[in-house]
Amino acid sequence: MSLDYVKFSTGFEKFMPKEYRDMVEHGPFGKKVTVSQMGSFKEILEEHPMCAGCAMTLFIRLAIISFPNPEDTITVGTAGCGRLAISQAAIPFVYGNYGDQNGVASGLARGLRLRFGDKPKDVVVMVGDGGMADIGFSGTLHSWFRKEKFTTIMLDNEVYGNTGGQESGMTNRGAVLKMAPLGKKFEKMDMVGMAKIAGCAYVATVVPNNPRRVESVIKKAVLIAREVGPTYIQAYTSCNIEYAIPTDKVMEDAKTVEDDRYKFAEYITDDAKQYLSERYGYKEFLPKPATAAAIPQA
Amino acid sequence: MYLVADISVEICAATSCRLCTQFCPEANTILYNNDAGKEKGLKYGSAYVAVDRCKGCAQCVWVCDNMAKHHAIKMIMIDQLPKAALTDNVTYGEKTTTVQLASPVIG
Ligand SMILES: Cc1ncc(C[n+]2csc(CCOP(=O)(O)OP(=O)(O)O)c2C)c(N)n1
Ligand code: SF4
Ligand code: SF4
Ligand code: SF4
Repeated sequence: MSLDYVKFSTGFEKFMPKEYRDMVEHGPFGKKVTVSQMGSFKEILEEHPMCAGCAMTLFIRLAIISFPNPEDTITVGTAGCGRLAISQAAIPFVYGNYGDQNGVASGLARGLRLRFGDKPKDVVVMVGDGGMADIGFSGTLHSWFRKEKFTTIMLDNEVYGNTGGQESGMTNRGAVLKMAPLGKKFEKMDMVGMAKIAGCAYVATVVPNNPRRVESVIKKAVLIAREVGPTYIQAYTSCNIEYAIPTDKVMEDAKTVEDDRYKFAEYITDDAKQYLSERYGYKEFLPKPATAAAIPQA
Repeated sequence: MYLVADISVEICAATSCRLCTQFCPEANTILYNNDAGKEKGLKYGSAYVAVDRCKGCAQCVWVCDNMAKHHAIKMIMIDQLPKAALTDNVTYGEKTTTVQLASPVIG
């Protein structure tokens, strides 16, 4: 555990803001916290300017709680709404040019492996659909083809939210947006299909109206990326501003969209299953015992 | 003035299902006090809102009404709350938090 970077320097404790002291003394560093303990420990995500009721904010909050080792995690982001919150957490955040996130993360993850050897340092990319499927598309796909070992998470609000409502490759066909007044003419891109073809070891689609499921997929994706290969999570994180969803109906919308085009789905390679069961004790992936019927009769 | 979420200790502490905080988009906002309501014989402790962090989205109201079906949360104008929880007055413990309530307007 590398907890030194969050500790107080001797003599400075009394000058630190309350939030910082709470985080050092009652935060999740060096402990295992779960979403079911939320509300009783100090979270490392602080205040930020994302809109009231934004589902992307909720997803980011859940994701950060779910990191298996927050003290050994580095997040990578890009232009878009999500960076406004991700950058306000007490874990290092790397921010480059729009769309370069998977290139940056490739170098970072390789460098950390050289520097720290077997000690896991988790790199997690979290960016919008525009930043990933449009502007950062080739960088994303190439990092997967090269089998770069880190986690990529798409915060899919099906629009360019930060710049006021342009269509992205992930917008649905026919959707009318402020800056796409004629309606989108093409289908939503199949990034999940591409992630599988490009060789990701774990791919999942998830919606934040099931916090424990978000926790489960984030943990698996981060652990698998340590040794097996690239992992990809695509999360529906609605933009209540550009899609005019009343804030108290955001979870209702999430359920509707989940039933429609965002059903929970998980793809995991055999290598990744074996790794999770052997290394981290995941019982669901233990090899099934041979059944009686499979034993040849004497 | 603006709306913030307010949780009824009486209703929440009868079950304290701990659902709302898992759906509040804001971190460190809906917190739990495992001892709240115990003086009135209520069992489970209650959720409360650090109103200085609440953005007034009412997602927690939807969750408590429709998922938990407990109807413990209401939106209320911040100056109509005589006392409320503020981040500065929250103390974190091992598995719970406690808070000194104060006027959200005067502090
Ligand atoms: C090279 C470059 N072009 C354009 C922009 C302007 N810009 C900032 S955020 C953004 C859109 C973000 O959309 P998306 O990636 O879908 O994320 P969201 O805001 O919807 O979460 C754009 C075009 C930029 N920062 N850099
Ligand atoms: S513009 Fe949309 S995606 Fe961005 S913070 Fe606001 S609600 Fe969330
Ligand atoms: S959802 Fe309602 S009953 Fe459950 S903890 Fe929250 S306020 Fe209390
Ligand atoms: S109104 Fe919104 S921000 Fe405020 S406590 Fe409820 S869910 Fe959280």
